[in-house]
Amino acid sequence: MSLLRNATSGLRSLLRKTQVDRELNEELNGFLEMAAEEKIKHGVSREDARRAVRLEQGNFEVTREVVRSATWESLVETCWQDLRFAIRMLRKSPGFTAVAVLTLALGIGANTAVFSLVNGVLLRPLPYLNPDRLTMVWEKSSDGSAENVGYATYLDWKSQNKSFEQLAIYSSWQPVLQVGEPEPLNGLRVTSNYFRTLGVHPEIGRDFLPEEDSPNTNKVVMLSHRLWQRKFSSDPNIAGKTIDLNATQYIVAGVLPASYQSLMSQDPRGGTVEIWRVLGYDISQPWACRTCHHLVAIGRLRDGVSITQATAEMDIVSAALTKAYPKEYDDVGVIVTPIRDQLLGPASGRLYILLGAVCLVLLVGCANLANLLLARAASRQREVAMRTALGATGGRVIRQLLVENCLLGLLGAAAGLFPACWMPKVLAIIGAGDLPRLDQIRLDWRVLLFTAGVALLTGVATGLAPAYRLSKTELRDCLQQGARGGNLASSRLRGLLIVSEVALSLTLLISAGLLLRSLSRLLVVSPGFDPANVLSMQTSVLGQRFNDNEVVRQYFAEAVERLRELPGVQSAAAASQIPLAGNMDRYGFHVEGKIHANPEEDPSAERYCITPGFLETMRIPLLRGRDVSPADAATTQQVLLISETTARRMWPGEDPIGKRVKLGALDKPWWTVVGVTGDVRHVGLDATPDMQMYVPHRQWPYPDGLMVFVIRAAGPPTAISTAAQQAIHSIDPAQPISRIVPLGDYVGLSVQGRRFALILIGAFASIALVLSIVGIYGVTAYTVSQRTREIGIRAALGAQRAELFGLLLRQGMLLVLCGVVAGVLASVAFTRFLASLLFDVQPTDPLTFACVVLLLVAAAAGACFFPARRAMRVDPLVALRHE
Amino acid sequence: MLLLTLRRKRHMVDKPSDLVQGTLDMLILKTLALEPMHGYGIAVRLEQMSHGVFRVNAGSLFVAFQRLQRAGLIKGEWKPTENSRRAKYYSLTEQGRRRLNSETREWGRQVAAIARILEAS
Repeated sequence: MSLLRNATSGLRSLLRKTQVDRELNEELNGFLEMAAEEKIKHGVSREDARRAVRLEQGNFEVTREVVRSATWESLVETCWQDLRFAIRMLRKSPGFTAVAVLTLALGIGANTAVFSLVNGVLLRPLPYLNPDRLTMVWEKSSDGSAENVGYATYLDWKSQNKSFEQLAIYSSWQPVLQVGEPEPLNGLRVTSNYFRTLGVHPEIGRDFLPEEDSPNTNKVVMLSHRLWQRKFSSDPNIAGKTIDLNATQYIVAGVLPASYQSLMSQDPRGGTVEIWRVLGYDISQPWACRTCHHLVAIGRLRDGVSITQATAEMDIVSAALTKAYPKEYDDVGVIVTPIRDQLLGPASGRLYILLGAVCLVLLVGCANLANLLLARAASRQREVAMRTALGATGGRVIRQLLVENCLLGLLGAAAGLFPACWMPKVLAIIGAGDLPRLDQIRLDWRVLLFTAGVALLTGVATGLAPAYRLSKTELRDCLQQGARGGNLASSRLRGLLIVSEVALSLTLLISAGLLLRSLSRLLVVSPGFDPANVLSMQTSVLGQRFNDNEVVRQYFAEAVERLRELPGVQSAAAASQIPLAGNMDRYGFHVEGKIHANPEEDPSAERYCITPGFLETMRIPLLRGRDVSPADAATTQQVLLISETTARRMWPGEDPIGKRVKLGALDKPWWTVVGVTGDVRHVGLDATPDMQMYVPHRQWPYPDGLMVFVIRAAGPPTAISTAAQQAIHSIDPAQPISRIVPLGDYVGLSVQGRRFALILIGAFASIALVLSIVGIYGVTAYTVSQRTREIGIRAALGAQRAELFGLLLRQGMLLVLCGVVAGVLASVAFTRFLASLLFDVQPTDPLTFACVVLLLVAAAAGACFFPARRAMRVDPLVALRHE
Repeated sequence: MLLLTLRRKRHMVDKPSDLVQGTLDMLILKTLALEPMHGYGIAVRLEQMSHGVFRVNAGSLFVAFQRLQRAGLIKGEWKPTENSRRAKYYSLTEQGRRRLNSETREWGRQVAAIARILEAS
């Protein structure tokens, strides 16, 4: 209450300043008059009375100031005065202001941009209810890694655990939506409690019902807000209507709110999830088995249950299951991880590295600005001395200077907001790799608050040293002698700033150098196939007739044949998955005579279900044996090709040709190895190839309906794109075709994350380099100008020009070398944080270090050279008259 | 900042000593308990009532008025004086009256306590 009154009356005196002042004047005057009259009554003359009152009560002006300054609004008022004064001062030296604001804009702008990225990706809350209660739940495989779960296991987990309020599972689903042009969508099949687990409610319609989660009633889907807008023109009555997917009718249960973003599929090659279907499994189905690890589980922890407690309880559940079904689990245990780590974990390391790097840029900027301010402080000593003489206290002077610097900081921040605005566009151009939630990047209050905070902090940090220095100005010296700045302490401080600037820039440059070397190493890694001139396009068979396996086989054989006949096409084939395209399809690999007692402990291999001609089209080398051919049909012996790594691992020192394996389950017929191929990099260029196998599409018992065509053209692959689609549609115009991508693009995508880090850190390093070069130049030039007289005297006394030149150059370079030593030490200490981003390069790679140091020293030498040369040309006579 | 000084009579000790923090506010409230008064009147009354022990200067007094006004304990009103000039008359608010009562009680308690301590030795 009284706080409010204090605020309002303070505001009143701020807004109606003249009236309030007049009242105070009148009151005080009245007081003094009355005191004087009192004295006059006692017989003192008017003059004497007034003097006596003044003696007793002190100076009228001082009293008035005392009364005024006792209120909070007087602080606001003086700050406002400081601000107006600061604006005047900055306008008086536009050159300095421009350089300072530009420096800060670079530093703060880069920080704001990266922070907006970090904010969007990491800091904004996940779009779920109480996301910190959500976890991923994995089976633990024998090597300790997390593994997907089978349906039967999920049912047991669900019924036996007490830690989770909800436990749901999902798997990926790629339906073709037949509304208008058939369009393949990215979707998920989820248990009916999936959205309840996440705490998301449909915006329109209803959630999935438990009774819909069974094999015959599961034709129910949920739409994303965007899909609803895009394909159903935001039909408000969509709920309950039927739509066609994969030539089957589905009922729309509802539409999710626009705020919901699916994070479950973060593959940059896959796109966002737009449709969800009820899983509808039944324990009797063959794919619901315990070893059918193709489902991902998420859980919502009960209140008060920690992840450790949940893991402990699930371990017990898992131990009981392993005991009951010893041949169906390869290890005991369950892995429970926060959903946040799963969704954002991989990105967070990289982003924090960027944030660290960009902080270094800001530090370099600050050092530069501090240097500039120190130089300016020297010339402002007189002004400050004058103000001190007029009664300003040290604190008041410091405050004035800090207000000036904060103003600079805010101006810089305002200019620095532009890069942050452009961040989404920049990201779109350079490609951010697999960073999730890029659509969340925008200027929100967190970013603005961060920017303002950084700006003020920068202002205070850069200004504090110079301001303190100034406030300690020796009054008499200054006023008597006139400004002759550049004392020992401040030149030492300047030196220190240069050293740290060089060290910081060097650290950044070395980081950028390491990343550059990594990327160049990575780009020469052969993916194991030749991506040039190959177009890939995905299709997925659509229609009831494809329920017959033979129709599927025939269809793909014919499609490949038509593609081959196209002009400009050298060869074509189809495969269930292609390397580097983000697919993941593995099968248990059971070698005859080497099957473990528990077959679950046998290894697995990446499975490519191919049509003949795949190796030729991809130019994957055949090392031994023969390729699959059209003669390998459903009726002939089942054959497969294995990769080099598979051969080496499964049959070390043996000839694998003619050996037999079972794929997936043990109750199926044997497959015979007929050939060995070269390895391909399936997951990424930076990942060591794992075991791979190629099985003929015509022999696989359930021929894949989702296949990728690869077409090798004589020229640029995009040129044949239209003709290739027409060729497929000439067989059946209803078949959907998607992801028409040259293979080279997939190779590019697989290094995009690294490229992104390299571009950003490279940009930061360049900014830092430029700033420190400007800093070194500035300091050398300043020293030269301060020492013009000394140089003149030396020259007049006969010093050789070369000696003078050497003297100045040596001083500058000494600082640079100190900085280099500090920078190399810092880099040795810090580059190991980059290790996750490096490929085939040590964090302390000597070659990179040497090159970067050379680059920096050369640039710094240039920055010292020009001012020193100017000093050399100083005419002794002019120099002596300089002051 | 607070120019609160307590001066003993000139002929006694010339050195000013600090008035106990917040006492000036209480004294002003007490002065105004009888009737509304202008600034100079309050100063004179304080000096009279303390037999010249308290001589508060205008600076401290007006700072205190500002503070009390903002705390809602007193309010000011411009009125003509007996010498037909204009002055700001301060008067106690209801809140101020309550505060004076509670402060007086508290002061009495403290003085008694301090006195007991001092007499104990």
